[in-house]
Amino acid sequence: MDQKKMNMEKKIRVLVAKPGLDGHERGAHVVAYGLRDAGFEVIYTGLRQTTKQIVNTAIQEDVDVIGLSILSGAHLSLSQKVIEGLKTQDAEDIIVIVGGIIPEEDIPLLKAMGVCEVFTAGTPVSAISDFISASISSN
Amino acid sequence: MFKKMEKAKQIENSWDSLVAGVRAGNVRAMARLITRVEDREPGWKDAMKAIWPHTGNARIFGITGSPGTGKSSLTCEIAAELVSRGLSVGIIAVDPSSPFTGGALLGDRLRMKKIFNLKDIFIRSMATRGMLGGLSQAARDVVRIMDAFGKDIILIETVGVGQDEIEVVKAADLVMMVCIPGQGDGIQALKAGVMEIADLYIINKADLPGTDEVMADIQGMLELSSEIGYPVAPVLKTSALKNQGIKDLVETLLTHQAGKNKQEFKRGIQVKEEILTLMEREVFRSIRSRWEHSGELAEAVQQMIDKKKDPYSTVTEMLDHILKE
Amino acid sequence: MSGNSNPMEKFETAETQWKQNILDKRLKRFNLSKSPTRFYSPLANKNSDFLENVGFPGQYPFTAGSNPFDFWRAYAEDAAKMGYRPDWGGAGGVGKYGGFGTAEDYRDYLIRMHAMGRTGGPNMAFDLVTQCGYDSDSDYAEGEVGRVGVAIDSFRDFATIYEPYTGDLGIDKVPSNFTINAPAAIIIAMYAILADKRGIPLDKLRGTPQNDILKEFIARGTYIYPPEQSLRLFRDICVFCTRHMPKLNINSIGGYHIREAGATREQDLAFSMANAAAYIQAGIAGGLDVDSFAPKQTFNAFGGSMEIYQEIALQRAARRIYARMLKERFKAKNPRSMMIRQPITAHIGCVSTTLQRPLNNLTRAVVGGMAAGMSGGMPGVFPPYDEPLGLGHSQEAVQLQLDATRILIYEAKVADVNDPWAGSYFMESLTDDIEARATAEMEKIEKMGGAVAAIESGYMQKAVSKSAYEKQKQIERQEEFVVGVNCFNDDNEISVNVNREVEASYDPELLKSAEDRQQQKLKKLKRQRNSKAVSSALSALKAHAKDESVNLMVDICECVRNDVTLQEMCDVLREVFGEFQQSKL
Repeated sequence: MDQKKMNMEKKIRVLVAKPGLDGHERGAHVVAYGLRDAGFEVIYTGLRQTTKQIVNTAIQEDVDVIGLSILSGAHLSLSQKVIEGLKTQDAEDIIVIVGGIIPEEDIPLLKAMGVCEVFTAGTPVSAISDFISASISSN
Repeated sequence: MFKKMEKAKQIENSWDSLVAGVRAGNVRAMARLITRVEDREPGWKDAMKAIWPHTGNARIFGITGSPGTGKSSLTCEIAAELVSRGLSVGIIAVDPSSPFTGGALLGDRLRMKKIFNLKDIFIRSMATRGMLGGLSQAARDVVRIMDAFGKDIILIETVGVGQDEIEVVKAADLVMMVCIPGQGDGIQALKAGVMEIADLYIINKADLPGTDEVMADIQGMLELSSEIGYPVAPVLKTSALKNQGIKDLVETLLTHQAGKNKQEFKRGIQVKEEILTLMEREVFRSIRSRWEHSGELAEAVQQMIDKKKDPYSTVTEMLDHILKE
Repeated sequence: MSGNSNPMEKFETAETQWKQNILDKRLKRFNLSKSPTRFYSPLANKNSDFLENVGFPGQYPFTAGSNPFDFWRAYAEDAAKMGYRPDWGGAGGVGKYGGFGTAEDYRDYLIRMHAMGRTGGPNMAFDLVTQCGYDSDSDYAEGEVGRVGVAIDSFRDFATIYEPYTGDLGIDKVPSNFTINAPAAIIIAMYAILADKRGIPLDKLRGTPQNDILKEFIARGTYIYPPEQSLRLFRDICVFCTRHMPKLNINSIGGYHIREAGATREQDLAFSMANAAAYIQAGIAGGLDVDSFAPKQTFNAFGGSMEIYQEIALQRAARRIYARMLKERFKAKNPRSMMIRQPITAHIGCVSTTLQRPLNNLTRAVVGGMAAGMSGGMPGVFPPYDEPLGLGHSQEAVQLQLDATRILIYEAKVADVNDPWAGSYFMESLTDDIEARATAEMEKIEKMGGAVAAIESGYMQKAVSKSAYEKQKQIERQEEFVVGVNCFNDDNEISVNVNREVEASYDPELLKSAEDRQQQKLKKLKRQRNSKAVSSALSALKAHAKDESVNLMVDICECVRNDVTLQEMCDVLREVFGEFQQSKL
């Protein structure tokens, strides 16, 4: 809210992306709609994105946040590649969050590689939008 | 934790370095400059001043049409063809913002996967952000930043429904209107607002039945417009999904010379509109922030709620007050 | 005449009196304007003709069940005495669904299973690379090879998996399941070539390919070509199987996947029926008589919610809609063409399970099992409670799941009565409602031009994702309650920890090296094969793909026989057919 007062036109931009070949889109769709309704500008790129495409899109769209939706079990390697890609493009300021079916024991590993937060099944979308707003305004 | 300790690698965010970055062909700098200008961060006009001398080299094509006409796919195919001819392309894809929440779902990239990773393509999704008139200015600014970066061609793609979206394509040198078979009634409805801005008509999905009918509809409409003095715009057939007619379309785009007079006439209108829009926004912005800060606005609102004043005299009085100063 | 002018009159009078004397008083006492519960009397379906709308089990319109009793029920008591485990296969069925790594890895796994007496036919899961029509050396394959299923790049891989299937386990004796959609024609061709090379007549082959490409556009996302061209491939498979492999099922239509993607009950039913209609139409367009192939169309399952009454009614409505559609619209004459054949009926969906207090998922799955048992199916408890934890199912969870099913069958005797709700005023009225709403949605899709048009325009996909979002909002607003998720989740509750030992059936080291080994094999294959034969098979496929009237199965079989890779075939078809592009949200 403070952010909005400071600058009426400032909008938080979020890229919702599905890396890899996994085609389960329900979570990504629900989050995309939910973040839109929370007032964010959401860029949705659909299925079968390579990590390189995701990094390129994030750079061109200059998003504040990348939300990766992964249900295939490949979350560790895919998240790692996105974060490395951002690093090589001087874009480490872009926040990466991950959602999907993520075993509890993998969450600390994801955070150690630079993922800001992990949202598993049952998370309300409002929790995700609150997290994003708080992270952006504290930056 | 890990992230906080090490200083994150990110770009230098100052206006000067962003403008220099754009000139040096740094994609991240271009993307960030677009954001800061689009967000109207203080100092944006100075940055645009610095960009201005490096503009005027790109050609700008607008693509509009009703939802479902396949504009994004067509834009994608046009861009791919342009890149194959050695040209560097920037794309601005516009989607509407929700008037209720201010949020937007920007999904045009979904139809452009084919060109995502091409080095010479830069795609930027833009939301209308509910600013009447403001959007065309924001689009113009983005066009100029891409132009200064060195893009040869800039494509602006937008849904031709609301006033906002039509405003956007006015920032283009040439506007393509996309129609599809089975859209007869749609053509009638579009007549009013779009006819005067379209330079070229495209019947996309021309492999479907009903192509001849929509062709006849458009030509009928163009005949009418020629009677009142507009030049007759060409009508082309394409199928973006089957990659048919794209080469011809691009050839037409690159060689198209709308009547020189029309071009200059349009240019004049565009420049005038831009100055007026900028002026309007500046005036409004400065008045509003003054009223808000001084508390006059809140006071006036309360008076109206209390039925002590009507809105008409409130506005007149406030304006008089400013003009006197 | 005067005596029976209105047989419902006495019920109407009684209902009015009940409302006034009993219900209203109670509402007043609790200060309510509307009752939180409902009650159904004969007034709920006063015009219903039992024989016309329900009938006996195994009789048109099959509302009460596709069969008088299911085959498994005939052996249920024997199975208990023998200690039969359905997940171990045998008894002439397929084994446990699975697959991982390279063809060699999966083959070795199957050999180990056989040694333990788990001898069902192959029930193959393919990795996403294969499902999406790529080879293991594609850019898209990175990190995905052998992960969610076995990797198949060429006929050699396919044949490797079948090495242990000889003698008593020969492919003329045990069936196979292939969970494959977009490249289904290629996998079926591999099956045919395998039989051919072994000298087994094709008409001895049994099994089920999923081959339900239309729902991939709506739900699972493993499509390749646009819907229209995909349906042409379906037509070719359908005609080929009907003529040469008559014992092979043609497909397995999944309503369940669509439901999991977010569809409402009625959308699930309407969309999967619209898809089924498109398949039937494709077969007829291929020159087949409807009764020659419709009996080979199967369904996976409908369902996926905790609402037990609605799920039961859904199964009943689905059977009736399908039966009437086949009889009235497609003029089928053989009753077997009109019945829904599916391994399971109702069950809860994976989306009904929760990460919070996961053992509750066992309770939830039992409710799904009850719904199945009371709607004409085995009371199968599904999925194992640890489904949402994301590590694969543990031995313990699978054991509890199996036991729960057994308890429902043998102790609760849930499966001793067919369609126990038949004639219930409530259930018949609910079945009618669901049927009416689904039929209205089906008519809407027909007006759009059928399933293909509704997918091309993005209608179905958008409808499903909007429903998913609507459901999420209802949960967030507490209009719907999920125990432990949006209610009963405060400090008064304790978290219940569960011990589980994950079955390490798949060696993680093999998984890691699968990509590399699969790529080495590809390189070797491309060196060894007859490249002339490869290119001529591919150019024949390409030329014939351009001619819509040609059945491509012959060319695909030729490619398979000549060691053309899966992606090489798919790439040629991509060139001719184009690739599906998702529509905007």
